[in-house]
Amino acid sequence: MTTAPAMTVDEAVVTELEAIMNEPGSVLTGISSRANRARVPAPFPVHRWAEHMPAVVVLPRTAQQVSEIIKLANRVNIPVVPRAGGTGLNDGAVPLRGGILVDVKRMNQIHEIDLADRTVTVGPGINMLKLNEELKRYGVFYPDTPASYPCSLVGGRIACSGWSLLGSRFGHTRDLVVSFEIVLPTGEIIRVGDGGGKKVRKSSTGYHLKHLFMGHQGTLGIVTEATLELVPRPEAEFAAFFAFDDFRNAHRTVHGIVTSGIATLAGTVLFDEKKIEYLRRDDEAFIPMPPWVNSIVATALYGTKPEVREASKLLMDLGRKEGGRYTGDEMAVGDWASRHDRYANPLHGRLKDGTVAPMSWHCEDASLTWSVIPKVREEWTAITQSYIDKYGIFDNWGMYCYTNAAYKPWGDYLVEIDIGIWEERLNDETWAGWVELKSEIAKVALKYGGSITACHGSTRAGDAELVPEEMGGGWDVMLKIKRALDPNNIMNPGKQMLDQAYES
Amino acid sequence: MQSTSIVERDGAPLPTRGEQVTFDDSASQASATGQDGQLQREFVERWRQNGYNCFSSGHKFCREVCPVTQVTRNENHTPTAFHANIIAMDKGLLDIEDVADDYVHCTQCGACEIRCPNTLFVGDFYQARTETVKVVRAARALMVDRGLDREGWRLWNRLTNELKNEPVLGVENGQPNGQDHVRDWAAGLQIPIGGETIMFVDCEAAFYRTSNTRATALVLQHAGFEFGLMNEQWCCGGPAAEMGYVEQSRAFAEHNLADWRASGVKRVIAIEPHDYIHFTEDYPAYFGADFDIEVVQILELVADLIKNGRLKLETPINKTVTYHDPCRLNKRKGIHEAPRFILNSIPGLIFKDVDHVTQWSYCSGGGGGLPIEKPEITEAISDTRVARAKELGVDMLVSACVWSERPLATAGHKAGIEVADLIELVAESAGIEIGGHRGASDLEAAR
Repeated sequence: MTTAPAMTVDEAVVTELEAIMNEPGSVLTGISSRANRARVPAPFPVHRWAEHMPAVVVLPRTAQQVSEIIKLANRVNIPVVPRAGGTGLNDGAVPLRGGILVDVKRMNQIHEIDLADRTVTVGPGINMLKLNEELKRYGVFYPDTPASYPCSLVGGRIACSGWSLLGSRFGHTRDLVVSFEIVLPTGEIIRVGDGGGKKVRKSSTGYHLKHLFMGHQGTLGIVTEATLELVPRPEAEFAAFFAFDDFRNAHRTVHGIVTSGIATLAGTVLFDEKKIEYLRRDDEAFIPMPPWVNSIVATALYGTKPEVREASKLLMDLGRKEGGRYTGDEMAVGDWASRHDRYANPLHGRLKDGTVAPMSWHCEDASLTWSVIPKVREEWTAITQSYIDKYGIFDNWGMYCYTNAAYKPWGDYLVEIDIGIWEERLNDETWAGWVELKSEIAKVALKYGGSITACHGSTRAGDAELVPEEMGGGWDVMLKIKRALDPNNIMNPGKQMLDQAYES
Repeated sequence: MQSTSIVERDGAPLPTRGEQVTFDDSASQASATGQDGQLQREFVERWRQNGYNCFSSGHKFCREVCPVTQVTRNENHTPTAFHANIIAMDKGLLDIEDVADDYVHCTQCGACEIRCPNTLFVGDFYQARTETVKVVRAARALMVDRGLDREGWRLWNRLTNELKNEPVLGVENGQPNGQDHVRDWAAGLQIPIGGETIMFVDCEAAFYRTSNTRATALVLQHAGFEFGLMNEQWCCGGPAAEMGYVEQSRAFAEHNLADWRASGVKRVIAIEPHDYIHFTEDYPAYFGADFDIEVVQILELVADLIKNGRLKLETPINKTVTYHDPCRLNKRKGIHEAPRFILNSIPGLIFKDVDHVTQWSYCSGGGGGLPIEKPEITEAISDTRVARAKELGVDMLVSACVWSERPLATAGHKAGIEVADLIELVAESAGIEIGGHRGASDLEAAR
């Protein structure tokens, strides 16, 4: 059984939504409101735009409103799709079957700043940069800093179980969200944490429901409030970039740094040869590197001044140990400071003949352990090249590998290959080619014992089909949970093969 | 559930449930055939590539710096949507009529353009800097051409055309608007007409906040800087361009340039940031290489007069102030050092600065015709701006844009913060008695 698409809704439903919302301009049925909430930055089949539009958009301000909307949706059997920033790199916020789109951007209040117990409680529509502007005066910050730090919103971070650039020092979204309020697919409003306490970080009571709902991609409800960690603003920051002429040495250097025991290490980033080639070619802001450079290791330390001062000496030694050369203060300071802005810059790529074409950036992410990165790199690069050759609308923008574990820098890595897609040229055939390419990349991650996504989610065709394989026996448990919590398959239907929960 | 009649909400007919929605070209162009359809196709053709440069990214870094979106939290009003709409029009999903109200939601402050990663990093390399202000203006021009312009703007521009100046004092009978009163502010100042250098007096400054205009003239006279006024001063035409009335804007520009030429003007002092944009961007676009007039921004001129000792600021002003970076100076023209130099030159003044990059997300809400059509949004933007000033513990918010000073002064009165113009402070510190009236600041003070 699947939920039937609802590309339109009755006037009576709209009237009920208006009664629930009770605010002019908060129930939107116009084509512009719907067309502008059909996509996210992930590759989008432009030629099938209309298929992804919701039937109606609501802009709630309270959990009670969200609850009543969901109860209504259950009653009339209409899909509900939550949307926060709409900046995801998977299609969690893209409606697959129309329905009611619940846009939470108006739920952007700071409800409480608790400096005694170090939490801030916010609505899901607040952006982390904006939140930190407010927190600065108290000497604290909320260190969830993805590449989309200036634009993603807290609700979406929870729905995707986001990854933070500083996660190896301060934790990722799942670690930084202490507890949150969520409206269940049947409309009940509950709070989930490690146990029950709103501000308790560690508990042994009951099942750890916070982790069940973290990364739910809108399939298990809508987050309406979150209590977040407050961290002291670091007194000192130290960034260092090291250049290498051999990827293997760069790869080994990362290992040396992350296993050194430096507690202030916020993370490392490894750039591969194709990435350097891309940056040299198409990024005017990239600081010129000598021709022998083919890979880079970027690192950063955060902590008190004495901690960072001492650790920086050790870091400089470790960075040079395998032949790395320090790239200079200009890059260390400038490139690290602009790290958030850099992520969206590749808006153009090259065709095989070198011609510039406007391209959409897609980052295929996976979680992989350190030891398999070189093999995966080889295979991903070869797979991507074969699709570039076949379709002529893709470009390989190289790979980044970021430390991926929380509070410790070793173990696994968020490994991404950035692929340019000439979206304007997408048609049914090339779109199918793209999905196949995604799938091949994901299969390599599974082959090497990894996970097909570290932070974007696996809702999109090409990934979604592989989720049962990755989850193994756990997939059946997921299906049981989905059906138990969402008996009518109202929440974000069609995502991640979860329709299987209703096949009987 | 029974289907009932089709209803109309936020502009578009709502299909009933079960009815398959199609968005092929014929459906979309039902309301845009013939001449109308041609105009829209030309708009799409002109802006499609620029729009696609945003669409292909879709990352929305602009959202949280956009002053309007910060208030409405409605994705329709984001710069991203303004670009995506063009792609949607190209694909036959949308007609300009569907998005006309959305394009009203913009102050043309330019924050989105400079926050765009495309502009920040690769724009120059690919010659593909994101242009959003021009898109909004072009969309509004299309609205005018299609008869979809907003009522308030239509009235405003009709009156401007009749009066030759904007009706800034309101449209009731008897207000001293228009050409008969355009130099009332200068009573007793004995400023000559014509000459190589003239001071161009913005409508809001000429009629509404005349203290600003008088202060500017008196400061220049005090420093021994020679200047005149133009013979027949019409509106600069900028507001008409911002609201989409391109022909009217151009007609006003042609009049003004002819007036300048007739009296041998070589240099125009722009005392107001909106005029400065218009003279440095639109006039050259209208007249090409024929536009050989030097345009001087008043803050840069005054900063120079202080630097070279021609203007001495010696009367202390014992106040704690912060500075509001006017959007058109800071975000669109990169002018943020001169005002800070001037503030730091005033004795007694404690200046609590907020850096100009943080102020990318600040605005008064006074630009782009927004206060005429959406005064409640302007009010909310100004309230937010003043609240940010209040957090700094200052007595006064200093601006350098007369159009910002009306909404900010109104918000300031509610919050208990005075709003002043930078040149008014300069005059006071130079020991000059200004006279004139300070518009909303006076009105609020009198309440």
